[in-house]
Amino acid sequence: MTTLTFPLSRIEGHARVVIDTRGGIVQSAKFQATEFRGFEYLVKGAPAEQMPVIVPRICGVCSTAHHVASVKALEDAYGVTPPPLALTIRELLLLGQLLQNQATSLFIFTMPDRLGVDSIFDVDMTELDGDALAGVAARALQVRQAGTHLITLAGGQFIHPVKAVVGGVTGGISAEAASAMKAELADALPVACALFDTYWDYSVALSERLGTWGDDAPACYLTAVSGTKPNYYGDFLRLMGCEGGDVCAQFPARKFRAFLTVEEAEYSYAAQTSYKGNVLRANSLARANLVDSLETPCANEYLQRFHREFGQPAHAILLFDLARGIELVYAIERAIEILSESLDGAETRLPYEPRDGEGYGLVEAPRGPLIHHYRIENGLIAQAEFVIPTVHNVLAIERALRVAAERYITPERVNLELERAVGRVVRAFDPCIACATH
Amino acid sequence: MKRFAVLQLSGCAGCEVALLNAEAWVAEYKLVYMPLVVSAEDVPEVDVLLISGGVRTDEDLYKLRRAVKKAQQVVAVGTCALSGGVANLGDRDDVRALFLAEKDRPHVPRLLPKSHPVDAFVAVDLYLPGCPPTSELFMAVLTNPLEFQASKVVCQECGRQKLKDVKPAHLLGFQQGEVRPDVCLINQGYLCVGSSTRGGCRAPCPRAGHPCVGCRGPSDVFIEKESAAWFTSIKRVFATMTNVPEDEIERGLRSPQLALFLFQFSDYTGDHQPRPKEKVL
Repeated sequence: MTTLTFPLSRIEGHARVVIDTRGGIVQSAKFQATEFRGFEYLVKGAPAEQMPVIVPRICGVCSTAHHVASVKALEDAYGVTPPPLALTIRELLLLGQLLQNQATSLFIFTMPDRLGVDSIFDVDMTELDGDALAGVAARALQVRQAGTHLITLAGGQFIHPVKAVVGGVTGGISAEAASAMKAELADALPVACALFDTYWDYSVALSERLGTWGDDAPACYLTAVSGTKPNYYGDFLRLMGCEGGDVCAQFPARKFRAFLTVEEAEYSYAAQTSYKGNVLRANSLARANLVDSLETPCANEYLQRFHREFGQPAHAILLFDLARGIELVYAIERAIEILSESLDGAETRLPYEPRDGEGYGLVEAPRGPLIHHYRIENGLIAQAEFVIPTVHNVLAIERALRVAAERYITPERVNLELERAVGRVVRAFDPCIACATH
Repeated sequence: MKRFAVLQLSGCAGCEVALLNAEAWVAEYKLVYMPLVVSAEDVPEVDVLLISGGVRTDEDLYKLRRAVKKAQQVVAVGTCALSGGVANLGDRDDVRALFLAEKDRPHVPRLLPKSHPVDAFVAVDLYLPGCPPTSELFMAVLTNPLEFQASKVVCQECGRQKLKDVKPAHLLGFQQGEVRPDVCLINQGYLCVGSSTRGGCRAPCPRAGHPCVGCRGPSDVFIEKESAAWFTSIKRVFATMTNVPEDEIERGLRSPQLALFLFQFSDYTGDHQPRPKEKVL
């Protein structure tokens, strides 16, 4: 038995890939999360009302999703519905996170794979390809920064936001602030589209060089968005079955155990989710497969091109990355729309009475549906459960790793392309290990 | 061009994200190691090593001891690197026993009994508190920490007006009430500790209507003293500005959301020396 271990970089958190082979035959390909902090244990006994500040610390990349899911779980337990303006501001907050995350994943995490470099900050891109890549790092950071500013505006803090509170938000957004943000997003939109065009071209070139877009066997897809103006605030979970085409199940967060099987693995600090024994996929490709069209013009053009060229549902894993670009554009366009509404109304928050009981909070995080589930006794957290999007993708990551390993490992030799392939496979799923292990 | 590296131990990557938001370093520094954004085998020789996250596993400890040998200057950034961070809310017998039993895994790095601060094991030249530190603070630490201009406390950076004649009788909790714009959060009954929390963040939380939770730690006046000195000062502010009973304040300060940050400099290391204020940005 020969064991190949691959450390991983350009993903959130600490993980590695371990591939076992015997006589050139791949025995197993495992994705190991190697960190653990223990949030489900350490919040036991904490006052429930403190969760929206404590739990964003699960992850600095996904803190916005945890912040909102936490507030929603408490509102579910207390039976309070926030006013419309608060819901709009929370939607804006999640769009800020989507924008920031997809820009980071596309341009900082996976662009180097398309260009054959170690980091986007590493080389003078003009040497690679004149205009298309001139100043690529600065332009990528400009787009990403717009997302950061949107989070700050709608969430009060750029990481670990504070503005969502039980019953609403701490305040509205003034017309001046909204208009400045709109201008920044309008500037970022063409920059994002140009970068994404370049990214798309380089992805096609990469797939032609490799002769594959990666593991393209069917899978089940899971998301909490729907419609032509997907709202990442989340309402129901939706499952698209293995046979493709239609939504085969729709259920509220509190029913997730009837559909999703979450199991611990002894070789990793991250658990893994399946659906009736099938491999499940969440994240951008799940959304692109379940959304037929978008009501914002540029994003819709990209989505239609995507469906035309790759089909619906599309399965190859490198398409996760392209789907992220479509959402990057959608997030900018949709945020501009929302910022054109009046956001400085008086009613931002409703009063409520805390009570004991159970609550579920669902949001569509950039990596897929995130659920917070709390049981509250005497005002304290008796039990907390975090159902994490990356965990839904673990089995899909391992299946895709196995496909790559079998492609590059033969009885004669190990093709050195394997190391790069492992990185590309894992990054296609944009896993977040701090969240997955929490 | 100067070279810097970021060693990520067990944390949430929020500090790294904050650093990425501070794009201006791109012109002055070459980032040679930071697994989040750069593929590189190991920490090479660098001028500055930023360390984020707490020492939670034996692998963290191994990486830490190796990395500091390569650096001219070592900077601990964020609450986790300074104190062990949010993971230490689980540093209680019942919780520790639970997760050590349930999370025993044969093939992954072994968990240490608690999340340790970086300076429990290696010497640190500079501390950058905050959860996470803002992008401006990251720039200051990389470019010229000595010239960084900031108010002494968050309160001075907040801009809300203190009212003399409004004295709440009880705390509102963190999630209740309608926040009035422009009026001090203490006047409105919120347990805000910005009056003695280290300045430099520009007060984003209280400006957005959420009380300061003290993530930057105590101001220079209290940073070399026991946590009791800082607590006494906070309680004195509430005694002057409110009619809230002292035990109610005390309970709030010791609850997880605040305790997580208020004790971050009280865990003296080495020969139980406090961190000198000159070393804290």
